[in-house]
Amino acid sequence: MNIGMQKQGAVTIVRPDGALLEVDAEQVKTALLQTASANLGRVVLDMEAIPFVDSRGLEVLVEVSEELSEGGQVLKLCAANKTVREVLEITELAALFEHFEDASSAARSFL
Amino acid sequence: MVDKPTDADDAATSQTDAAADALDGAEVEEALAPPVKRSFLVRGESAIARGGMVLASLLFAAMATSGWWTQQTQRDAIAASRAEQVRAAESVLRESVESMLSQGDISGVRRLVVNAGRAYHLTKFRVILPDNQVIAANEPAKINAHKLPETWTGIASGGERDVATPTLVLLSRAMTVPGRGAARIDIQAPIDYPIGAFWEAQVGVWSIGAASLVMFLIVYRSMRSRLRAMGAIREALLALAGGERALPALAVGADLGDEADAWNTMLVERERLESSVAVARVKQSIADRRVNRGDLESAFDAMSQGLMLINEKLNVKLVNGAAAVFLQGKREEIQGAPIAPYVRDEHVMAAIEAVASGSVRRRTTLEVKRIDDKTGDAGVLKFSVRPVRREDSAAAMVIIEDVTQQRVADEARNAFVAQATHELRTPLTNIRLYVETAIEEGENNPAIRAKALNVINQEARRLEHIVGEMLSVSEIEAGSFKLNRADVRLDTLFSDLFIDYDAQANEKQIRLRMNLPPKLPAVKGDREKISVALQNLVGNALKYTPEGGQVTINVNVEQSLLTVEVNDTGIGISEDDLKHVFDKFYRAKDPRVVKITGTGLGLTLAREVVRLHGGDITVDSKLDKGSTFVLTLPISAEAV
Repeated sequence: MNIGMQKQGAVTIVRPDGALLEVDAEQVKTALLQTASANLGRVVLDMEAIPFVDSRGLEVLVEVSEELSEGGQVLKLCAANKTVREVLEITELAALFEHFEDASSAARSFL
Repeated sequence: MVDKPTDADDAATSQTDAAADALDGAEVEEALAPPVKRSFLVRGESAIARGGMVLASLLFAAMATSGWWTQQTQRDAIAASRAEQVRAAESVLRESVESMLSQGDISGVRRLVVNAGRAYHLTKFRVILPDNQVIAANEPAKINAHKLPETWTGIASGGERDVATPTLVLLSRAMTVPGRGAARIDIQAPIDYPIGAFWEAQVGVWSIGAASLVMFLIVYRSMRSRLRAMGAIREALLALAGGERALPALAVGADLGDEADAWNTMLVERERLESSVAVARVKQSIADRRVNRGDLESAFDAMSQGLMLINEKLNVKLVNGAAAVFLQGKREEIQGAPIAPYVRDEHVMAAIEAVASGSVRRRTTLEVKRIDDKTGDAGVLKFSVRPVRREDSAAAMVIIEDVTQQRVADEARNAFVAQATHELRTPLTNIRLYVETAIEEGENNPAIRAKALNVINQEARRLEHIVGEMLSVSEIEAGSFKLNRADVRLDTLFSDLFIDYDAQANEKQIRLRMNLPPKLPAVKGDREKISVALQNLVGNALKYTPEGGQVTINVNVEQSLLTVEVNDTGIGISEDDLKHVFDKFYRAKDPRVVKITGTGLGLTLAREVVRLHGGDITVDSKLDKGSTFVLTLPISAEAV
């Protein structure tokens, strides 16, 4: 899985390209946690290129979010599509994350 | 010229379209649908189609066989009836010949033979006496006994024969002429098959066959979607049995009907169930970890600022999660330990000591650089040290904030202000100078006045352009950038663009070429903004191409995508700079670029505008060779 990393100011936008399933989800988790610890939590998960999240993907999102909350941070998601949003809402996980329309507004929220 | 889109392009386009749809998140099912295979048979159809083909060929074979069978039985029937007819005719004729011969009416016999031969369509009809004397024949030439003897002895040779081949009936019968002697009758009759009847039967059989084939196809068509759904579900089930668990791989096309919908719904339900279980598990494990944390501690942990309470002995009495992260340690280790090893900056340490000992009673704020141990990433931390008043002992509260992003933003803002001031001042200075010239010298010299006004006009336009760009970028930043969507006629857009830049290119002796397809559609969008984006690309190409170079604009319309390729033979962009060309206020480090004025906003703006229209701009460049910027813009169906 291709995971794009882009800096916007001091914020890193992590942009996985593909569905969050099984092995890929693990890879995304590592990328997010590493970036978060190096950047003091200034990380945004850009979900624009994620068409779908399965149970393992959700588990990873929750784990990362909890890891971040240990340091008082919240995982910021942006550009999630309707499918992903629905899954988050149905599983009542939406409230765990901060949601933004696009990467720039998510990055701006760190100001 | 417009290139003919190839099939591969089609497929690629439709795939991107599908991807874009999925991203738009139109429908759950839509996103779940597997990518459409570009083959004759879609998923789930192959097995059914194979069955259908086998059935159709069986039907075809059955038709051919029944055609052949009909023909055979028909032939047999015709042959049998002909043989029957010939036999019946022969027995009647034989009796007549016997009685006529016994009366000696030889001419009567010969007439009868000729007439009967004609009437019954016989190729051979002879009355033969012994020694092969032909007394009567349907062909008179064959007669070799001209007179009928009164009596004769012997039997006519040849004996009895009754043979029916598929083409002939051969009949040889002995007879006795009363009062005279034995004789023989020979008949040869061809079997004629009526061609008309044969074809009638064939046409009948084949039209019944064709009709049933058509019926079969109609039934197959109406059943096909059903069968396809079942086939797709069967494949998915096999995949499931094979260990496949990913929902998109198991989902079947939503267009396959109710069964497919039901299957997909079931899959989604299963996924939801699994997700809930997984999430519940994670939540439970977290809850277990936190169970022995008090309210106050939990509240501290919810803070994104780091928080520490330090007593006068410089031991950490309280530390929250964020502070532990900021200080690059584990909370359990820091808790209760001396603070000294964790605070690396001596000024901060000094401030904490001063406050904790009670000697300083005011708030101290310090900003310190933090380098991450593992990755070496730099950040900026703001430490605020405040005294906590207690009767018996002193203590310090340390609040740590991560202000890296603010500092980065400040830097960018400062750079912008510096750049903007510079950018605005240059045209202003020119305007002021030329206004002075016009006032002082222009009164009596119209040429100087005209030139001065011309320069002032140009510089005022430049100023307007810069201010416009800055405003647009800040609007995009603030999210208040609005598009006025309308039909944009691309042909006039491009001809205006060419006219705008042709003069500028001539001045610099750059060959500006534009290749347009013969027919350009209209797009839905903001004409002004799209025009600005194109102007930025072409303007840049001209700006960074030295004299004698070449700038080519290739416009292509493929399917529902407009592609504008701006290619120059300019100074190019280095690999390092290439990553940042679209960054706000970014200007390449190349000294040749630094010499040319620019805000570093043009490309940012161009790309944002195009992205707001659902398109994108990409760049490919080689230093000293030239650059190619490619702008793609979707053409909305209703505007075409």
